[in-house]
Amino acid sequence: MEQEYIILLQKILVVLFSVTLFWKIIKHMCGLLVIEKEPVTVLVTGAAGQIGYALLPMIARGVMLGPDQPVIIHMLDIEPAAEALNGVKMELIDAAFPLLKDVVATTDVVEACQGVNIAVMVGGFPRKEGMERKDVMSKNVSIYKAQASALEQHAAPDCKVLVVANPANTNALILKEFAPSIPEKNITCLTRLDHNRALGQISEKLNVHVSDVWNVIIWGNHSSTQYPDINHATVKTTNGEKSVRDAIANDNWLNTEFITTVQQRGATIIKARKLSSALSAASAACDHIRDWVLGTPKGTWVSMGVYSDGSYGIQPGIMYSFPVTCEKGQWSIVNGLKIDELSREKMDATAKELMDEKTLAYSCLIDD
Amino acid sequence: MAKEPVRVLVTGAAGQIGYALVPMIARGVMLGADQPVILHMLDIPPAAETLNGVKMELVDAAFPLLKGVVATTDVVEACTGVNVAVMVGGFPRKEGMERKDVMSKNVSIYKSQASALEQHAAPNCKVLVVANPANTNALILKEFAPSIPAKNITCLTRLDHNRALGQISEKLNVQVSDVKNVIIWGNHSSSQYPDVNHATVMTPSGEKPVRELVKDDAWLNGEFITTVQQRGAAIIKARKLSSALSAASAACDHIRDWVLGTPEGTWVSMGVYSDGSYNAPAGVIYSFPVTCKNGEWTIVQGLAIDEFSRKKLDLTGQELTEEKELAYSCLS
Repeated sequence: MEQEYIILLQKILVVLFSVTLFWKIIKHMCGLLVIEKEPVTVLVTGAAGQIGYALLPMIARGVMLGPDQPVIIHMLDIEPAAEALNGVKMELIDAAFPLLKDVVATTDVVEACQGVNIAVMVGGFPRKEGMERKDVMSKNVSIYKAQASALEQHAAPDCKVLVVANPANTNALILKEFAPSIPEKNITCLTRLDHNRALGQISEKLNVHVSDVWNVIIWGNHSSTQYPDINHATVKTTNGEKSVRDAIANDNWLNTEFITTVQQRGATIIKARKLSSALSAASAACDHIRDWVLGTPKGTWVSMGVYSDGSYGIQPGIMYSFPVTCEKGQWSIVNGLKIDELSREKMDATAKELMDEKTLAYSCLIDD
Repeated sequence: MAKEPVRVLVTGAAGQIGYALVPMIARGVMLGADQPVILHMLDIPPAAETLNGVKMELVDAAFPLLKGVVATTDVVEACTGVNVAVMVGGFPRKEGMERKDVMSKNVSIYKSQASALEQHAAPNCKVLVVANPANTNALILKEFAPSIPAKNITCLTRLDHNRALGQISEKLNVQVSDVKNVIIWGNHSSSQYPDVNHATVMTPSGEKPVRELVKDDAWLNGEFITTVQQRGAAIIKARKLSSALSAASAACDHIRDWVLGTPEGTWVSMGVYSDGSYNAPAGVIYSFPVTCKNGEWTIVQGLAIDEFSRKKLDLTGQELTEEKELAYSCLS
């Protein structure tokens, strides 16, 4: 009897061992199988333009969402640009991007917005010589009102929106107002370009790598009233981590030339290139989305233009650039940072400009 | 532990292709996501201010991998210590110009850049010539930089290769990443021969030959070939500018596969110094199917060449021989 039990026990052990081994082999093989993620649909408006041309290959190579994230690109532009837009589509096909699962090139805003998970609004009416601010504002208000509707009705739920076209903050505000079913936290504007420019200026001044500088802040409007703030920025030096202000040891430069350089960098680029920034704007747009979706690195924040909730004494109801961290696809304003007197003035000045822009935008709507 | 940065030179960096290419290099598309780079950008003095604007934008983009930028009009400074050289700069053909005029200007440019590279680049510098006439510019560069190994001097036909993959994927309505092993033979010009005879598509039931799946030899031997050959002109017609985005992307693919190796079972097309394989003329830069390993390319040998293909290989070889003669006549 005992003999039978021992044999039975042995049989059970053998069976258990085989099953466990078999299971481990199956799991290992499944691990080797690369299961591709579902593609994410990314819309770029104004896609036939300069920024679009720089941005699209970045998206298609995984710079925006990661090297393992397949994408479907929707490109929208206006009718006069239809042939150029098709040329860009042809080039995207010619580049044989492994991550690019489909390209839709269209002048129809409904088709463009269909099923979109991420929308980068680069298209807008550029200011031409002789135009008054009110004229530019008026044209852009109409554009963003129409696109808000289309996005709201046709985009995927939880679509994340980044407005790049200037006036970025106010265009984003209009978009938010006319797409009430898109959560206001999903509508942002680009100040990452200014943030990156500030990092670049500090790294050049200190002769360090730009990846060794972090936690600058861009407050307010993506315009010349923006406030590049280094009071909480850190730099890694050969003697360890220091505050940027201590490392630079030149408050005068930090409070004047540094600020104006960053504020006016756009104009400087135009003067040198005879064209506005495209490469760096596109790159910043990728950084903005990537950090938003995949999260900011620990201990680091970035700057994003977001719907103000009254933090830091800034009026709610405008799109204002704040320091934010991102986790699980959501941004949160970094609270509790000390604001000195100089900073307070500058933060309020840019907020005032945004209030004025909002008033101007609404007056254009009434005139419509 | 961060790797030592690799120095990458881009000539003609203030132009359209340069503007598309430099952010790709700075993001690791060319050499891998963990490979820091130092960019050297060269252009002619009239473009100096624009070039500086591009440098400013590279600084403004705060690229983590970009460890330095040198923007210069001095070819010696540009070539110093360079590990990878992408020659985008060249004299473009303008309306009314004869082929000989363009050839003549480019021959001078590539002769002097050859010298500078040979004297100042890092040992084992890898060179990719993009500017047209790409094959012949590369040949001139090789002739006047004798201490650079001939195998280190290549020209770009990866754009045509990728275009061919794109056309097949569109025809079959499959993902472009499921198509492989097309070949571009010969000259990066309208005499190139896009060959699908050894190309395959990954289907749910395994790899199948392209010819079998397309089931349209007339299209494969006719419209497909001319579409790929003339794609450059089609892009110019639509954009009013020549291909920049796709050319830059192809340049990154060319260098990346050369340096990091081609995937198992896959080859790519590169314009390389011909050793007479497949009866192509020796002593010209001719596009062949190659695999890459340990930083070296090797021509894929033993592929069957049918009669139709033979004619096309010879035609493009003939054109390259003529271009070589024209180039040499410009030198005398």
